[in-house]
Amino acid sequence: MRLPGTRYQEHGWEQVRKLLGHCSLQAFRQIELRHAPEPEQHTLLLDAYTEAVAASLRAHQRTSRAEAPGNSYGDSVSELALSLLFELQAQPAFWQAFMEVMAAEYARSGEFWRDPAADGILRKKVNDMFVGLRDKVDADNYIVATGRDCSPNKIYTYRMLDTAYGEIARLFAAWEQHVEQVGAILGRELAGLPIEVRQMKSIGGCKAEWIIRWSESLERFEGSPGPLHTRSKRFASLKNSPEKISAMLAEIGDYEELSSNMDRGEDSLGEAALWMEDYWRVIGESEQQEAAPDVVDQILQAQEDAFAADQSDGDDAESEPGRRGAASGEEPGPHLEALPSAAQLAREQDAAVALSLSPRYLELARTAQDAGSWTLRVLREESLPIRLAVYHKLLGPADDSYPHAWLDPATGELPTLQQLAALDGISMPTMRKRRNEAIDKLYAADRAAS
Amino acid sequence: MSTDHNKDALEARLQERLLLSRAVPGDRLMLAEATLLAALDGSRPLTPNERTALQQSPLTLRRFRHLALERREAGQAANDPVWAGSAGMLRAASSAAVLEQMLTDDGYWTLHFLPEGEEWQVILTLSAEAPFAARLLREQPMLRVVDGGGAIILQGRLDADGECERAWPFEMAPAPHFQMYGASFAVEPVAL
Repeated sequence: MRLPGTRYQEHGWEQVRKLLGHCSLQAFRQIELRHAPEPEQHTLLLDAYTEAVAASLRAHQRTSRAEAPGNSYGDSVSELALSLLFELQAQPAFWQAFMEVMAAEYARSGEFWRDPAADGILRKKVNDMFVGLRDKVDADNYIVATGRDCSPNKIYTYRMLDTAYGEIARLFAAWEQHVEQVGAILGRELAGLPIEVRQMKSIGGCKAEWIIRWSESLERFEGSPGPLHTRSKRFASLKNSPEKISAMLAEIGDYEELSSNMDRGEDSLGEAALWMEDYWRVIGESEQQEAAPDVVDQILQAQEDAFAADQSDGDDAESEPGRRGAASGEEPGPHLEALPSAAQLAREQDAAVALSLSPRYLELARTAQDAGSWTLRVLREESLPIRLAVYHKLLGPADDSYPHAWLDPATGELPTLQQLAALDGISMPTMRKRRNEAIDKLYAADRAAS
Repeated sequence: MSTDHNKDALEARLQERLLLSRAVPGDRLMLAEATLLAALDGSRPLTPNERTALQQSPLTLRRFRHLALERREAGQAANDPVWAGSAGMLRAASSAAVLEQMLTDDGYWTLHFLPEGEEWQVILTLSAEAPFAARLLREQPMLRVVDGGGAIILQGRLDADGECERAWPFEMAPAPHFQMYGASFAVEPVAL
């Protein structure tokens, strides 16, 4: 199923799910899961988990499962798995819920993740986390692409209808073996080839009442109740709203037709700069308008939905009334770092050589920084490896905008987090901690600017 | 890779990530389409509360990003030159026994003829130099090539390489066909 903006709703999802499960099991043997009961450890555990799974995904990159198409926009299974993994950072509620589940199981049966017999349970728990996450991410993607409201529940409903259509199409295709059931779906007795069977060419041609009757008669023909008629009542209200079903079926059908020969446009290098320019202009025009008090705020009210997450937003009241950095002319001039001493250079060179990087790696990488940049001003207290680790986390190991001098020629990417920690002469936990603190500084500075 | 342009791109990419990747539990669309569009075209600046709502909602910022880029693309399209059709003639030089290609007078379209056994393939190619190339590749309108007698030689949309290939639809080979039908052809957009 394809809908505007969604990426994780097509057949490739089964493989994405399995790959994430497989790589997660490997990751759990490398991270300190026994800290799951300590909420203050959750962020660090998520970092360690993300890194371990990402490494495992990269190791599996060349397998046939990973290379298989994950959707019809050209994303492979491993690309989708990796991007969903990184969505966890922006949707920490899913990780927190997972940690709580793990903590409860740990309290019951100790370090169960070390027991291969528990693999099935673990896989199931990971699966639950990513299943919820993919619908949340795709609901957001849908909103971004259309401006219309959506929720994970609604995505789930679209998918249920899509699956129901698939079942009906399967029965129609073999109508001679299912005369009675097809008759029940169509609501009449069949006399020869039913014309509907030939007319329904796509989900857009599927009628709401067929879905309702298919669900209603499913228990009779296949032994278990249909989705609109289960005791859980999840979709129960839909069976009385054929117009709602019709609209959703038509939407899936229309979009599938529209998108059938469409490639997803990749983000181009300059795109961020383009819309950020609009962003700063809109913010600036709004700031200049402060004096006009008679304009009424047009802020949307929250829509009713079963998926109501915690409403506390992360904004602290005492954010400074500062000015934004990059576009403002009132900032101090380019901040130049103190040049490293000869002794420091020698230390850096030893560390670089030990990692098979060029001896002058840090020296050249330092020169390649943009001395006047807002980022460097905010992070001027941090070491260069920490700053590179910040980019590593926020933009990934490879980004077209990275200067050449930052890349490890062996991989064409930024050095790994382990290498950066070694370059800085610090341990991995310290590296992660300092990197996250630096990112918090950027968020705080960004908020102060707004 | 260390040009100023890339430094700006790097800075913009990082700031974009900072705006869009922040975890905001319960985030939702905070501003209506009309509010965002009016702010983008400058007709109604955001109020302070709306501004705060935008800045604190990565989801609303992503919708803003989508609309801003869409608006820029539309503005770009309005500036691209419009194309209404091109025509070409069978030249003396191209009337040799085997006709390999024909060019429109504006030089932007080529028809290539490839023999395939007894049959022919005909390929319409758009020159990347054409001032309207970007628009046609983006909009992919239905195109038609007709001969001097008005018969359709080829109809279809350009692929990503600016080409459209079809089987030659007539019994007669391309060279005698054109000689019989006015020695000319035209490439036109098809109004649907």
